[in-house]
Amino acid sequence: MMNSRAKKILLVDDNEIFLKMMGQSFKNHGFECTFASSAEDAITLLNTSSPPDIILSDYEMLEMNGIEFKRHLMHDAELKDIPFVFLTYFSDNDLIISGLDLRAIDFVVKDTPIKVIISKINNILFTIEKQRELTELEIKKAASSLNFKSIPVTKPTVKGFEIDFWHNAYHDIPGGDFIDFIRVNDRYKFVVLGDVMGKKWMAWFFTFGFLSYIRSAVRFTALSGEYSVAAILQKVNSVICFDNILKDILSSLSLLLIDSEENKITYAGAGDLPLLHYQSANNKLKQLNSTGLLLGLMEEGNYNQQEIILEKGDKLFIFTDGMIDFIDESMKKSDYNLFVEMMQPYMTMDDGFTKMKKELFLKGLDQQVDDQSIISIYKN
Amino acid sequence: MISIHKETESALLLNLNTSEANLVNADEFKAEIISLFDEHQKKIILSLKQVEYIDSSFLGALVAVLKHLLSFKSDLILVGLHKDIINLFKMIRLDKVFKIYDSFDELPA
Repeated sequence: MMNSRAKKILLVDDNEIFLKMMGQSFKNHGFECTFASSAEDAITLLNTSSPPDIILSDYEMLEMNGIEFKRHLMHDAELKDIPFVFLTYFSDNDLIISGLDLRAIDFVVKDTPIKVIISKINNILFTIEKQRELTELEIKKAASSLNFKSIPVTKPTVKGFEIDFWHNAYHDIPGGDFIDFIRVNDRYKFVVLGDVMGKKWMAWFFTFGFLSYIRSAVRFTALSGEYSVAAILQKVNSVICFDNILKDILSSLSLLLIDSEENKITYAGAGDLPLLHYQSANNKLKQLNSTGLLLGLMEEGNYNQQEIILEKGDKLFIFTDGMIDFIDESMKKSDYNLFVEMMQPYMTMDDGFTKMKKELFLKGLDQQVDDQSIISIYKN
Repeated sequence: MISIHKETESALLLNLNTSEANLVNADEFKAEIISLFDEHQKKIILSLKQVEYIDSSFLGALVAVLKHLLSFKSDLILVGLHKDIINLFKMIRLDKVFKIYDSFDELPA
């Protein structure tokens, strides 16, 4: 499936009229356009806003020309792989070769009818997207043959509670977030939410290691009849600090144990964001902080546990840092309080989490800068 | 992406010259700062004054550098953190791991 979001194009040309005309045509064909009237302006724009899907740049410009502009981008790890097409009146072979040597995808002569230019750009973007999908498909096939899932397919059932979750992978590629619901017996169920630092496949591969250790520690602890989430965190952390591969990788973890018989939850956290407890009696969202350090950080992780009592109508939210990242006027920021404010209106609604998914989380995907995961526990 | 602000007898004072510290520049940062440490063999005081956003990959790189320096009985001290970043450090308890000061001038003697 081709990604249906509007493709972003950066048009660079020192001819303002030409820039406007091109911009209008691209917009009419569903593109989102940004403009720069010089290579210098384009560089500033690229350094301060999210990258476009493609750059279409004039060759002959005052100060820095198109080739120099592309050469500058080649030295920037973040910008060098953005597809780049030259648009020029020049059709000199040496010039074209210099541009192609700098990994420009194509040269388009400015006299070319605009419809043809747009078709060319669409074809280039389609080919790139297709190639990316094929590569991902291959990796996904390999991953599924290992039968490993870092995110559950369905929500769990727990007597006395309603549990739901929402997860969205950054750029649709599995990343470092992981969720698990581990049933011990009719009485006990563990809820696991973690975030391996890093993004996309690289982080995802390490979730194998972390989840395997967590699942083992939970099972061993349950077998011994000891139900301490803090003790489990300490065990997992100790093992990771001795693991030659994982010791340089860090992960946050929120670990909760739901006791359906006693109607209580115990919680311990490792470098995780504060949980949110909605208390229906006073209509307030209360922050619950844990004490533990990120897994793999220090051998002594200072893991403590606390008991959470959910009254009827109370809700508990556990989430990863991707949920609190926002892009504001092209600047990225992490704002926990803003996220809390955005959630507040949904707290009194019976189907609040379903509405939040639809109205808050899915709508905010344009601003996504990392994996996003949130678990909701509702006391019914 | 790192420039030397000052070198004293016991420390190397560095500026991190990026407004967005993220996955893309995390490896480059790690390599540069470790090479500076190898060369100077002094504790490092890093100013994040120019950094407005930091993602978890870069936090991972900062911690990796801290662990590396601690293994050599040295240290990585941070200064000039913006309010949002300080809050993030506190929320995930990284303020318990790093020594953090307002600016180079506020460092204890």
